[in-house]
Amino acid sequence: MTPFDTYPAGLLPAGSQDRTPMPSPLEIIDARKSFRTPEGGTMTALDGISLKLASAEFVTLLGPSGCGKTTLLRTISGFETLDAGEVLIDGSAVTQMPAHRRPVNTVFQRYALFGHMSVARNVGYALEIAGRDKREIRTRVGEMLELVGLAGMEKRSIQQLSGGQQQRVALARALAAKPKLLLLDEPLSALDKNLRQKMQQELKALQRELGIGFIFVTHDQEEALTMSDRIAVLAHGQIQQIGAPTELYQTPANLFTADFLGESNLLPVTVTSGRGCLPDGQSFATPHAPGEATLLLRPEALSVTPPDGHALSFTGTIRETYYTGTDHQIALETPAHGTMHALLRSGGALPCLGSEITLYAPAQGLHLIDEAAP
Amino acid sequence: MILRRLLSLYGLLFFVFVYAPILLVVIYSFNANTLNMMIWDGFTLDWYRQLFGMETSLTQSATFVDSTDQLWGAVRTSLIVALSTSVFSTVCGTALALAVARYRFRLARFYRTLMMVPMIMPDIVLGIALLIFFITIGMNLSMLTIIIGQSTFLISYVFVTVSARLAEVDTSVEEASADLGATPAQTFRKVTLPGIAPGILGGWLLAFIISMDDLVITYFIAGTGNTTLPIHIWGLLRRGIKPEINAIATLMLLFTLVIAAAGLYFRSRRQK
Repeated sequence: MTPFDTYPAGLLPAGSQDRTPMPSPLEIIDARKSFRTPEGGTMTALDGISLKLASAEFVTLLGPSGCGKTTLLRTISGFETLDAGEVLIDGSAVTQMPAHRRPVNTVFQRYALFGHMSVARNVGYALEIAGRDKREIRTRVGEMLELVGLAGMEKRSIQQLSGGQQQRVALARALAAKPKLLLLDEPLSALDKNLRQKMQQELKALQRELGIGFIFVTHDQEEALTMSDRIAVLAHGQIQQIGAPTELYQTPANLFTADFLGESNLLPVTVTSGRGCLPDGQSFATPHAPGEATLLLRPEALSVTPPDGHALSFTGTIRETYYTGTDHQIALETPAHGTMHALLRSGGALPCLGSEITLYAPAQGLHLIDEAAP
Repeated sequence: MILRRLLSLYGLLFFVFVYAPILLVVIYSFNANTLNMMIWDGFTLDWYRQLFGMETSLTQSATFVDSTDQLWGAVRTSLIVALSTSVFSTVCGTALALAVARYRFRLARFYRTLMMVPMIMPDIVLGIALLIFFITIGMNLSMLTIIIGQSTFLISYVFVTVSARLAEVDTSVEEASADLGATPAQTFRKVTLPGIAPGILGGWLLAFIISMDDLVITYFIAGTGNTTLPIHIWGLLRRGIKPEINAIATLMLLFTLVIAAAGLYFRSRRQK
């Protein structure tokens, strides 16, 4: 079973979900929020953010710290109120609704488990609050623990659990009340690398299984690329770009996205009548509008063997090499473009530190960013 | 090596200095010598028997009073005062600590500092101030004035104890509770209160012990006819030190230790 079979809506670009009759699990319209800083100034956390989920999407809010991603999440959960704008959950406006009445649940960064309660009472908390009867709660808690792989751990105390187990309890607790939308605030940042990768896969599988929307906040671009149906890249309180991981990686709309998501070589280009011209005089055909632009070359697009047809070439001295097992990462110092990064498949001749090599990139299908290079 | 020995010796001397006088009081309380309690004259429980009004072999001249009614009256007054004051201070101190810790309002830090002041205020100043205050507003000195007066500074102790605990309780736990559908009242009852309960209990016990023990401030605002235990003992001492006092002191010590131990016990149970 692939996600394409079950949740085609999740992979549709924004705007085409109008065909689905179901209301969107989450819609944010022109959200604005600013804080007063201790120094007496104001800090704009959200500067006109609009976002709409197709049903059952896994959307990641990605950005550096202070970009507004956590504030955005907290306006959805109800812990922050907007200065202007609307939040709609499942089609109804919740902008003025306090947190405890909103049909969303959150997995907190440091889990925020109730230390004085057992695992079962933590997981059953929402149902206990809702006044459900004891047997129903017990059954649901059992199901939830089974779901997150902690079956039979009802009676444990929180302190007896490892970090990864606490993470799972937090997840089970947030899902127990069957929320319309699950919010996850950097939930994996406290786990070690192996466990984090395992949880990434499990979370993604869980989201498919449950068929509810996930809003996942992270500053880890790899995590975002691995898990998301769509990624919203945030900076300075605005969405820089939103789209599928491949779209964002291959065709970033601006320099910030290109730079933040993955490694990149950004070269200045002058476009005149259908041809892009690099500073060293090489040129290539492009449909881009005339003017100053930036050429994006991902490190893996460069290779030592020239491709068929027209190619761009970059000659320089190898300044650094890192061997990662599958690849050699190299830093190439070129006279015309400064330091360039390349990722070469291992297996070929080992690039030698200080030696001079030429790398090639096919001159077709190059992505230009409509911004002058930094 | 020598330095370590010296340090150990210093540590030992320190504890001797602190605890020897207290230990002596306990030992003297079992001394049968009626005339000079510094000289050991055999073991006896007579001083305790005397306090509880039982038959003893003691002569009249050896004791302070022929009846211990006054003593037990003072104990009763002290217990009533300590219980009322500590409960009142705990409720007010906890509420204040919650307000200062959880709500953002102007001058919050100023109020926090203001709450510390009664603890460093000289007892005599506070005693005089309270006395003048009660007289000015025309309130007769009674058990009520003791309770009000002691509460003014005991609230601070509870405030500090509960605040320390509150600082440890992660606010995200309260947010998690709200997120899972709990109203602010439910969150307070099910999450916040259990979280700070050890602090509240600790603050309450502290307030209780300090109230039982307070002499200076209470002395100013007690008036006549409301003798607390410390005031009663002070009164006894003015007629010379008699061995009976050792028994009273030992019982008070025991009482305080039991309460402190109970506090520590509950605290460790909560933190497990």
